[in-house]
Amino acid sequence: MVPLSSFLIIGAALFSIGIVGLFLNRKNVITILMCIELMLLAVNINFAAFSHFLGDISGQIMVFFVLTVAAAEVAVGLAILVAYYRQRRSIAIEDINTLQG
Amino acid sequence: MSEVTFPFPFPQHLELILPEIILATMAMVTLMMSVFLSPARQSIVAWVSIATCFVTAAAVLYASGSAGLTTFYGYFVLDPFAAFAKLLMIIATVFAMFLSLDYMKKEVNVGEYYTLMLFALLGMMLMVSATNFVTMYLGLELMALSIYVLVAYQRDVLRSTEASLKYFILGALSSCMLLYGLTFLYGSTGSFMFSEMGTLISASGDELRFAVLTGMLFVLAGLAFKVSVAPFHMWTPDAYEGAPTPITAFMSVAPKVAGLVVFMRILHDVFPGLQAEYTSILMVMAVLSMAVGNIAAIAQRNIKRMLAYSTIGHVGFILLGLIAATGNGYTAIVFYMTVYLFMTMGVFAIIIMMRRDEIQGELLDDFAGLAKVRPGYALAMGLLMFSMAGIPFLGGFWAKAFVFMAVIETGHIVLATLGVLFSAIGAFYYIRIVKYMYFDDERVSFNFVKSGPLQTIVVLSTLIIVAIGLYPEPVMALCKLAMANFV
Repeated sequence: MVPLSSFLIIGAALFSIGIVGLFLNRKNVITILMCIELMLLAVNINFAAFSHFLGDISGQIMVFFVLTVAAAEVAVGLAILVAYYRQRRSIAIEDINTLQG
Repeated sequence: MSEVTFPFPFPQHLELILPEIILATMAMVTLMMSVFLSPARQSIVAWVSIATCFVTAAAVLYASGSAGLTTFYGYFVLDPFAAFAKLLMIIATVFAMFLSLDYMKKEVNVGEYYTLMLFALLGMMLMVSATNFVTMYLGLELMALSIYVLVAYQRDVLRSTEASLKYFILGALSSCMLLYGLTFLYGSTGSFMFSEMGTLISASGDELRFAVLTGMLFVLAGLAFKVSVAPFHMWTPDAYEGAPTPITAFMSVAPKVAGLVVFMRILHDVFPGLQAEYTSILMVMAVLSMAVGNIAAIAQRNIKRMLAYSTIGHVGFILLGLIAATGNGYTAIVFYMTVYLFMTMGVFAIIIMMRRDEIQGELLDDFAGLAKVRPGYALAMGLLMFSMAGIPFLGGFWAKAFVFMAVIETGHIVLATLGVLFSAIGAFYYIRIVKYMYFDDERVSFNFVKSGPLQTIVVLSTLIIVAIGLYPEPVMALCKLAMANFV
């Protein structure tokens, strides 16, 4: 029997990798989208683990909602990215600098 | 073959969700209309959307008659507080749609634009009616996803898409933080209902304290992003500057109302047992927001960026009411949001009217000498700016005064003093615009867009602000009524 803490450590590790990747990444925006997905998956692992160990089904139902929203979010994110690329011809992070002040 | 039985009874009191049902149906109808109508007739969609908002408002008034009831097994509530917030958000949406009529005329497929606004409104209405984190999260995402697209609506403008990209990345990050915190709250309580979680968290012992505090920190950080509270405000100026101006007006009011209502509900229902902890977090956020909002705005030359910082400052003042956490504090917040709605909409209507063919009237310099050319608009803008600065006796003065009084009642004299101080600093940049308008010479030739809806909004907003300033009691009574059942 794997204890709850193992799942939570995996969740925390994935979430931290996501956040660190988001802030340290200087290359391109696709990586940022991947980091966001990673964070949402960490959230799902936490929900599923808590749901199992509490013996309460609602956490697993929340996982389905989060998965759906994550799919919609990536669709919108990629659409915005395509629109941005058409204008800027680049998706490198250091080129996102038109708005400043 | 055994008979399949539905494990739940049919939900009672479905009339409470009638406004949302109407809104969702009409949003899909308008989507279809924008597909099938020819480009020349797309403006019909705008009028249908505006009509939908009015019908929804009527439905809210009708449904809120039976107060305090819940539907969908307690997952959806329409108390007077939610009804009042919904009306505010519907007014904000209608105003923003009127602002868009002229502004978005040249865009292709403009019908979808109004559909997205209706969906954003639907998300916000679900948020303020949520009694649990599932409904709240789904409403929040529906609102956020619609607004990301709306910000990028001018696809051929670089800064519009860039603003949307930045807003999207930080918004998605904030949702992740909210959810990650929520996992710990769920793990500690085994429930998503606000009230149930609140009871369990208050009763929980020391062994759960770490999990609950971590959860609370992440949830508060995620919500703070949405209402653009410092230190989570970085996206605000960029998103405000890049977005089409009507959308800037929309997103500086409606999502803030929804976010603050959720903020109030969560603090009040989920964390009553952690009041000491969340109060100290809110104090830091409030002081930082007031400082950032009122000091950084001085350096801005673009009026949309300036108003973004102004929003951050106003939300900082509103947080003071949350710190008070009394009936007076919550009532003051609702009053502040009402006044803020009309101030902001009036100012943005004037900014949109100053749009010329290619240049937008967005730089502060563009306002120079306005009083000599268009004294009426200059007077309206001046009154609205004085109101934002909190000069007596205009609406903004009472909004700030009520918040400060509420926070002083609970003994936070230092916070109130800081608030007055930052308010005085903020007055500088608001009144600077008045100085540009009345004492500087004209630098660019004014060519106001002639638009009935825009003029109506300017006149209406200014009149309401002056009226509230002279006679705040009726609005205050309304806010008290809305908050009567909350505390």
